[in-house]
Amino acid sequence: MRKTTGDQLFQFFNYAFLIAAAATMLLPLLQLLAVSFSSPVAADSKMVFLFPVEFTTASWSHILQNTGLWKSFGITVYITVAGTFLSMLFSVLTAYPLSHQQFLIRKPIMLGIIITMIFNAPMIPFFLTVRELGMMNSLWSLILPGAIGTFNMIIIRTFFSGIPKELDDSARIDGCNEAGILFRIYLPLSKPVMATVSLFYAVGYWNTFQRAVLFIRDPEKWPLQTKLRAYLTSPEELAAVNLVLGDYDFNTTTLKAATILFATIPIVLVYPYLQKYFVKGSMLGSLKE
Amino acid sequence: MANAQDHLEPGSTRIPIGRFNLMENRYLVNMRKYWMLYVMILPGIIYYLVFKYLPLAGSVIAFQDYQIFKGMLSSSWVGFANFKFIFTYEDFYLVLRNTATIALYQLVFGFPAPIILALLFNEVRLMLAKRVMQSLFYLPHFLSWVVVGGIVFELLSSQGVINMVRGWFGHETILFMQEQQYFRTIVVISGIWKDVGWGTIIYLAAIAGINPSLYEAAVMDGANRWKQTIHITLPTMFPTILVLFLLNIGNFLELGFDQIYNLLTPMTYSVGDIIETYVYRAGVLQGQYSVTTAIGLFQSVIGFMLLWIFNRMARKTEQGLW
Amino acid sequence: MMKPVFGKSARIFVLASLLVVSILSGCSNNGEKPAASADGTDKNESVTVKVFKSHMGVGTIPDNDNEHVKYVEEKTGVVYELVTTAPGSEPTEFLNLMIASDDLPDILRPIGGIEQTLIKQGGALALDDLLPKYAPNVWENIPEEAWDIVRSASPDGHIYYVPKVFLVPERAPMIRQDWLDKVGLPVPKTTEEYKEVLLAFRDKDPNGNGKADELPTSGREFGKWMDHLFGMYGVAMWEGVPEWDSYEGEIQYAGVTKNMKAAIAYIRELYEEKLLDNETFLNKGDVWQAKINNNLVGSWYHLPANLRDRYTAMLKGAPDAYVVGMPMPKAEGYEGFVTQKSMGEPEWMIPTVAKDKAEYSLKLLDFFYDQSNDEFIRFGIEGQQHEVVNGKKVVLPPEDSRPIALGMRNLTTKEDMDVRIKETIPEDMQKMVQDVFAVSSADARRIAGDGLPNTVYEGFPDIQSHKLFQEYLTKIVIGEWPLEKFDEFIDRWNKAGGEAVTKRVQEWYAKVKN
Repeated sequence: MRKTTGDQLFQFFNYAFLIAAAATMLLPLLQLLAVSFSSPVAADSKMVFLFPVEFTTASWSHILQNTGLWKSFGITVYITVAGTFLSMLFSVLTAYPLSHQQFLIRKPIMLGIIITMIFNAPMIPFFLTVRELGMMNSLWSLILPGAIGTFNMIIIRTFFSGIPKELDDSARIDGCNEAGILFRIYLPLSKPVMATVSLFYAVGYWNTFQRAVLFIRDPEKWPLQTKLRAYLTSPEELAAVNLVLGDYDFNTTTLKAATILFATIPIVLVYPYLQKYFVKGSMLGSLKE
Repeated sequence: MANAQDHLEPGSTRIPIGRFNLMENRYLVNMRKYWMLYVMILPGIIYYLVFKYLPLAGSVIAFQDYQIFKGMLSSSWVGFANFKFIFTYEDFYLVLRNTATIALYQLVFGFPAPIILALLFNEVRLMLAKRVMQSLFYLPHFLSWVVVGGIVFELLSSQGVINMVRGWFGHETILFMQEQQYFRTIVVISGIWKDVGWGTIIYLAAIAGINPSLYEAAVMDGANRWKQTIHITLPTMFPTILVLFLLNIGNFLELGFDQIYNLLTPMTYSVGDIIETYVYRAGVLQGQYSVTTAIGLFQSVIGFMLLWIFNRMARKTEQGLW
Repeated sequence: MMKPVFGKSARIFVLASLLVVSILSGCSNNGEKPAASADGTDKNESVTVKVFKSHMGVGTIPDNDNEHVKYVEEKTGVVYELVTTAPGSEPTEFLNLMIASDDLPDILRPIGGIEQTLIKQGGALALDDLLPKYAPNVWENIPEEAWDIVRSASPDGHIYYVPKVFLVPERAPMIRQDWLDKVGLPVPKTTEEYKEVLLAFRDKDPNGNGKADELPTSGREFGKWMDHLFGMYGVAMWEGVPEWDSYEGEIQYAGVTKNMKAAIAYIRELYEEKLLDNETFLNKGDVWQAKINNNLVGSWYHLPANLRDRYTAMLKGAPDAYVVGMPMPKAEGYEGFVTQKSMGEPEWMIPTVAKDKAEYSLKLLDFFYDQSNDEFIRFGIEGQQHEVVNGKKVVLPPEDSRPIALGMRNLTTKEDMDVRIKETIPEDMQKMVQDVFAVSSADARRIAGDGLPNTVYEGFPDIQSHKLFQEYLTKIVIGEWPLEKFDEFIDRWNKAGGEAVTKRVQEWYAKVKN
């Protein structure tokens, strides 16, 4: 294939732009990393820039030896895995009928669902509802109230709608029922969108914070993001009261940096893994003419 | 069920009943034939009823003088008094105008950004480079606005990169964060920087669904990359773009409290004070749940009207949301 | 594969729908809750009291077997059960939810004005008779003056809460003695002298790095932590927020006084000449702190009790660094002072629904106000709250895996502060910190509006949040608006509700004085 100069020029600028922009997105995390390995004085004095100053691992060994944080980590992993699975199941089951003409009450239901996206329930009634369902202090309260993300469900529905309906018919002739069509044909055909939406759900569950604050009273059950806040919010007056005499190689600033990374890195690593489902023309396209 | 049908069906000559009858039949027949679809959606419907509609009913406190101690059932009804309180608030129109302006900026600049980025990614041939860059682009999404706000303030400070570069060219230092003419630009750019990579994921999934043979055929016809983008990639992405656009419109007046709050200073109140920051002052500081619920309803009604209009327009070309 | 999950969720949903009905009726709190005390009181001698306190920091919640809990139980016959907010949550919201769901603790530390909600809606228990009976130490240790303020904050003149009392000023203007020595000037006595000192700081390179990077004085976003510049002109300021004080014989919002206008004029001058850090209104806390740490700032306003870490950092770059308290420089025609708020802020209250347990809640509270327990309250249990190093008890830093110990005393006297300095500041810095306190104590004055209940702001969120003030202050100081705009501010402030609020405050103040 012949390449024009215009093409080459475009390629060059495209790479240059993307690489430069990508670099700016990496810097803040590198900076946090550097701070987490620096001494408290250097960190508080903003002497750190991308490289640790007065290198120390004190902050990391402090948080990694911290059993409470690991417990929260376990809880977060649990709700992320269980929640993503449940959410995908509910969303797919809801999206499938809504993407089919045969489902006659599709439009009113869709409208009803979209209304909930625009009109948000006030906090107190929402709280009372979950409480009356007996979910206080239960991990269910972190999963069920957000079991279907309307945005995510609609994304799935949009992709389902794009699948040619002739496939349904031929499957039906082969003796598949609706559930069979969904699980045997639709799901395998929409791997990219399944990967995308799973990622959205997983990140959502991983970042669960607001609901934990509302519904979980027992610190033993706090997810990671809630624990993280304990390090992020330290009012000045409180710091004065809690001042403790003694020499430590970490302080709130360095601990803050370390805990942010501890709570972020695992979920960040999920995306590169999912990327293999984004390979161009993976599934759906080969059938869509 | 069957009995009721038998009873209604035969020999009825009166048209209204007949029509009603027919409709009922149509739904019942449909239900019987595709009963599995109805079963499938049942958990979803229960979910929306229990976790969305039930608490949503609590919005009635917008028409009450809600006292937490008394609860919803015993608080007194005040009609539209809370709405009147909002609309007569001295700065209400300023706050509304700021909100709408920033929302419009975000729609015009923020919304297309991930689409363009997805197309740029699509032009990257080196698989490894593409993957690594995508992964980097989505990192800032995981930083909170407190952290990003801090970064923005430092970048734009007198010692920050921007002023350093200005210094090289002999320009004076500008304290950008306290000059109101820069505020909206900063909001838009920082918003794009933080979430563009994240927003791209969904479009990349759409692009991943394109049949490579379409491109091959286009190349045979002599279409260059630009033409391929216009005639193949974009049309395939279009349904996704449309849906995201409509969902965006529905929440038009909700900008996200965290971002604005973390970028706002008293010097930029006149352009940056938005509905959500007002709600924070009135609601969180004063515990006026009725007023904040009323504001929420107002935002939602506007959002819903916009969505209604755009959805009608969308239905003329493609399919709308409903 | 799908069946079991389906079945489970289906069961949950069926349960859910059944509960729908109960929720609809569940919002009211008419229903009598089963008396919680019934099961505990009779069988055991000890009574469990639920204590709510927010902002407990990191740590686990102590259970019944916790040694700290047991020790307190032994002494008082009360088992405390700590209820706290999750980190990062809005404590006010948390309390509101507790009220809305009829799930109040037995004794609580109100926050964000929740005490007034309780008092107004009949949810607070009057403590006038109970306190002397069950909590004599609380009753006697807190000065009578503070109780009067508490009485004034309720419509019926009863005592509905135990106030916080802080008898020493927490904040102080500070200045770098080593910088003064370098520029050869004494501690300034007047606003003119202060300006001269700042000029010298700006021009004579007191940090000795050869760069003109000194920020003679600095403050923080929203005009926080620059109260010294207002205090000189007799403006009552608290972390950048104007307070209520006596002006021309009447209690008035300090933000709209002549004093304020004079202070802003002075600050504007300092800003223009770069004597006040030009990025003052953009400084987030950490940036501001780094500037002080890096020996860039000559004079600032903060908590002397927090000086330790800053001073340690300063010493790295300036081995002869020394910080002293700065007496308020005198402004011609004004009476300067360090604003002190000492009492009246609510600390503990008992909901009416927990009336049956009030006796025990107060006994628990009394334990912490009993001075003979001081040592235990400070150090707690060995291994959990302190360790013994060289025969001396040393408090351990809070850690995620260690239980939190409840503290309920919030009464700080001069003696308490001295003890705290001894325990938290290294020996070689103790004198410096004590001297700073001595200077600010000499200048400190309790303001007339100390203990003002925030109900006076009801219906005027913008007055309560000081939004209007902040906008005018910052824009005038940075030179975007002329000083004359301040008169427009007074006018707008009054119209936006300031006038109505002022009336309420004056009515309140009349009650306090009687």
